Amino acid sequence: MILLFKKISSETIWGYLFSLPWILYFLVFLSYPLFLAFKMSFLDINMVQPEKATFVGIGNWIEGIRDPLFWKSVFNILYNQSIFIALTFAISLGLALLLKEVTKGAGVFRTIYFLPVVTSVTTAMIIFDFLAGSGGPVQKMLLTVGILNAPINWTFDKWLPMPILAVFNSWKWFAIQMIIFLGGLLSINKELYEAAKVDGAGKWTQFFKITLPLLKPQILFVMTMNVINGMQMFTEVFMIFDLKGGPYNSGLTPVLYLYEQGFNQMSMGYASTIGLLLAIIIMIMTIIQWKIINRES
Amino acid sequence: METGFSFRLNRKKLLKFLVHFILTVCSIVVVYPFVFMLINSFKTGPEILNYPMYLPKVWTVSGFVKVLSTLNIPILFKNSLLISVSVTLLNVLLNSMVAYALSKLNFPGKNLIFKVVLGSMMIPGILLLIPTYAMLYEWGWVNTYRVLIVPAAVSAYNIFLIRQFLTQIPNDYLDAARIDGCNEFQVFWRMIIPLSKPVLATVAILSFMDSWNDLFRPLLYLRDQSMYTLQLGLYSFKTQIPGQFLEQLWAATTLVTVPVVIVFFFLQRFFIEAFAGVGLK
Repeated sequence: MILLFKKISSETIWGYLFSLPWILYFLVFLSYPLFLAFKMSFLDINMVQPEKATFVGIGNWIEGIRDPLFWKSVFNILYNQSIFIALTFAISLGLALLLKEVTKGAGVFRTIYFLPVVTSVTTAMIIFDFLAGSGGPVQKMLLTVGILNAPINWTFDKWLPMPILAVFNSWKWFAIQMIIFLGGLLSINKELYEAAKVDGAGKWTQFFKITLPLLKPQILFVMTMNVINGMQMFTEVFMIFDLKGGPYNSGLTPVLYLYEQGFNQMSMGYASTIGLLLAIIIMIMTIIQWKIINRES
Repeated sequence: METGFSFRLNRKKLLKFLVHFILTVCSIVVVYPFVFMLINSFKTGPEILNYPMYLPKVWTVSGFVKVLSTLNIPILFKNSLLISVSVTLLNVLLNSMVAYALSKLNFPGKNLIFKVVLGSMMIPGILLLIPTYAMLYEWGWVNTYRVLIVPAAVSAYNIFLIRQFLTQIPNDYLDAARIDGCNEFQVFWRMIIPLSKPVLATVAILSFMDSWNDLFRPLLYLRDQSMYTLQLGLYSFKTQIPGQFLEQLWAATTLVTVPVVIVFFFLQRFFIEAFAGVGLK
């Protein structure tokens, strides 16, 4: 009995010892900043003189809810994400379906498709900026085909930045989704398709009745990650826009706005509030997404 | 009968050709920007502006020579490497420790800790950006390397990945070692670490890439040019000289990208598996 007690307690000690990195990380880099975020959102606090912080109650929150630029940035990112998610879903699922059919050389294609994933956003954006710019090959091609009449400076446009960035991000990230979908497709039991064929189901019916429902875990995972990551877009716009997101604020994302408020205007309290508002929006979107995808089954 | 068979065969062949054709077109779209970068890095400035799409008329390495004198790329490489390797090693070690406790040891509060790990993955990083900056600023960590290493040393996501892997290792195996007189640390070090090599490769690749490719945090926390990382150096280079010195910009971009691509080609299997296995169990 004593021996047993001793054994359990030593396992407990080891357990906490091994968990220590997480416990410390959780306390120092998650809990405390989370508490600080709420605290700062009720303060008018300047990074340069933090001792002069004044309590402003829910002033920052009211300002945030009324701030047209903040909502413009939220609109922009939703506009961007709706295009990005649809486009990437189509490309990655389509290519996964094609890759599944390929026996020889599938590895080569997979490797090539992963090139954009491993390069940094910084370098990819430098290349893309030039490619899609007014002197770049994409616009020259569109001019010769006749889709464009004159070269455009899309970063100064009212509506173009977000769709164009969505195309960039699809190019950059589709391979991850593709490989996740491919894994899902390969794990689907082939007999299901055989049985469906015997029942006279066509390719489309098979796709909608077997493939899509069985890919649900992968789709749910990919969509959740898309929203959490995509809503926080920063480097892409920071590389090519000023901190206002261009003359029409059409390149302004919430994180760029937060950066501008926190590190350019130095109002950390307000920037904290923006971070909290954005986190609330992301959480609401994630919950809605789960509800929609789970209802469909 | 005969024609029907050959028709079907041809149809199959045609379909196969079509699949390969589409995949190849997509490959070209994916690779083209890199080819574009590469050929432009061997041109002179005016030629880049006027003929960006064609192969260089005169191949030149002047862009590379010039950029190496304006931007200290070896130093940037060294800084990036120092930060990313530290982050990677710490992630592999610390996260597997926690994952070991959460999968193979029994102690009160274990399930709660695991739930907190899972729940924390849903917190958007941006929420903590400003308060973390305020905290680290107060600590005097701004403009140090540890500000980029320590907060990135533990990751809920990596703990989750390793834990999922460890649950597949049978306990009898570990008990045998315990009976032989190994304490928990020895079990962890001599058995868990070697057995979980595949998942540790995944964790290493994901954390290295995150750290290596990050622009945001170095931008926030580093002040001295001598401490800049590759991404930050490249960014500051781009903003300092709008329009001019295009040849240097392309040369720099090439110099930053090529090593990554080479490493990727050597370790591609691990890279792709790292993403394929992501969070689906």
